[in-house]
Amino acid sequence: MTRPPDMKPAVLPSPLQSLVAAGNLQSSAAHLPSLQSLALQVQHNLQYQHAWSDLRLHTTSPLTNEPLPRPLLSGLPPHRLYVHPDEQIELLKTADRERKARNKQGDTLDVKTEAEHEWILPTRLSEKWTLHRLADVFDALSMVPPAADSAATDDRPANPWRTTKRLVLATAGSDSTVVYYIVHDGVVKPRQN
Amino acid sequence: MATVAEPFPISHIAGRYLLFDVDAISHARRNHNICGVLIGTIPNLSQQNVFLGIPVELMPEEARVLVEQNHAYIVDDAEAHRKGFMEMSREDRLKYLQDMDEQGIELAMSAKKSAAARSEKALKDKGLVRAEVPESNSRAMSETAASPASTSTPDTTSAVANTDEEISLFGPTPSPQAPVARSDKKPEAHYITPTTSYPPLSQPVIDKTLQLPAVPRSFPLFRYMHSQGYFSMPGLRFGCNYTIYPGDTLRYHSHFLGTGMDWDQEFDLLDIVGGGRLGTGVKKAYLIGGEDTGVAGKSKHGQNDSSADIYPVRAFSIEWAGM
Repeated sequence: MTRPPDMKPAVLPSPLQSLVAAGNLQSSAAHLPSLQSLALQVQHNLQYQHAWSDLRLHTTSPLTNEPLPRPLLSGLPPHRLYVHPDEQIELLKTADRERKARNKQGDTLDVKTEAEHEWILPTRLSEKWTLHRLADVFDALSMVPPAADSAATDDRPANPWRTTKRLVLATAGSDSTVVYYIVHDGVVKPRQN
Repeated sequence: MATVAEPFPISHIAGRYLLFDVDAISHARRNHNICGVLIGTIPNLSQQNVFLGIPVELMPEEARVLVEQNHAYIVDDAEAHRKGFMEMSREDRLKYLQDMDEQGIELAMSAKKSAAARSEKALKDKGLVRAEVPESNSRAMSETAASPASTSTPDTTSAVANTDEEISLFGPTPSPQAPVARSDKKPEAHYITPTTSYPPLSQPVIDKTLQLPAVPRSFPLFRYMHSQGYFSMPGLRFGCNYTIYPGDTLRYHSHFLGTGMDWDQEFDLLDIVGGGRLGTGVKKAYLIGGEDTGVAGKSKHGQNDSSADIYPVRAFSIEWAGM
């Protein structure tokens, strides 16, 4: 049965389904299609649910150019996602000095943090992981995701506090919930929220 | 605080690693970042367990770290006692018994002395003393206080004083009582239950044939964090292997909930999510780590060549991203 071209189908596919079906899967033989669609799902979630920008899919390591253990994402969150506790102390001190310099009554602390690019590791909740696999992912990562080709000149100064590799572990449940955890490569003291 | 000679003994009793010496306990805590858990309670009031005392029970990991670094050694305490007391010479045994007797007599003397002082004080508080106490009796009491062993105080001194005062309350003072004959025998010795085994036994010898303490697979993470100067406590409260503190556990809040595992041991991502979320909720980071067995390990220092090599440990800290 044919349908007039201007008529919608009875049941629309979800935006995510159409994104995956639209042939966005890269023809990289190094990774399973399931992992690629997982990366797309997480990318979709970050872009539309958490307002991230500059999201890019990585299939090879920026360090060695070898294929990554699985496709990874990089992106820019709308706000700074992680502030190291020592950096936080420093930022608060700076903000306090500036407030005193302005010397206005009732002035509030104005802490300035710029958003930083983050690595994202897409995973499924049903997966099993080992320390070995996690270490392999970290070994393939650079400290900061490489700048996009279009914006080759990254005017952002490197953050001197970013001294250990970190990534955002995105875990997708079967009901399409995605949770995000920051994983550091090494012993990093916790934030005092 | 007395200094502790290293290596100090760790008693291995019924599968537990225990420290009975207060000096050794504070030494391990101060110098080796080993806290252990106080488990001692009053034997017949064991439900009063809010404040526990010695002994300190060490985790097998703690005992192992101390032994590996030659700060301590393990003593099979049951065997050491059996051997030590069965093979004790007759002279030593008699000397020990005599020591105990002397201590018992000393104890009885001081108990008696303090009882006398107490009753005198009670009398003084009532304002009834001295004047009514017959001269001879008061002198006798002061003699008792000065040199209890040499004199022959009447056992009835206080009783006499009491009757004197009661009478004085209600009537004229009768003529002073004649001094009572004094008994020359020493007070009955208290029986002492010895609470230490070293002495009478001499310090146990180091038994090199004893195995290192058996440790769970989370041990490499413990050793790594210990080598970085962190303090660790058991982690059951937070559903992990260790709660890890940046300094003494009485001064700092803990920073990490540590779970150690093998390099290729599989774990559920739900554990990471749960641990990370719990840790962030209590202002800590969830720490997973283990030995990277893929890298060439260096062979263990020390005398125990039989055990496995030490590999570098890799750890990952996990926090909730807040989104």
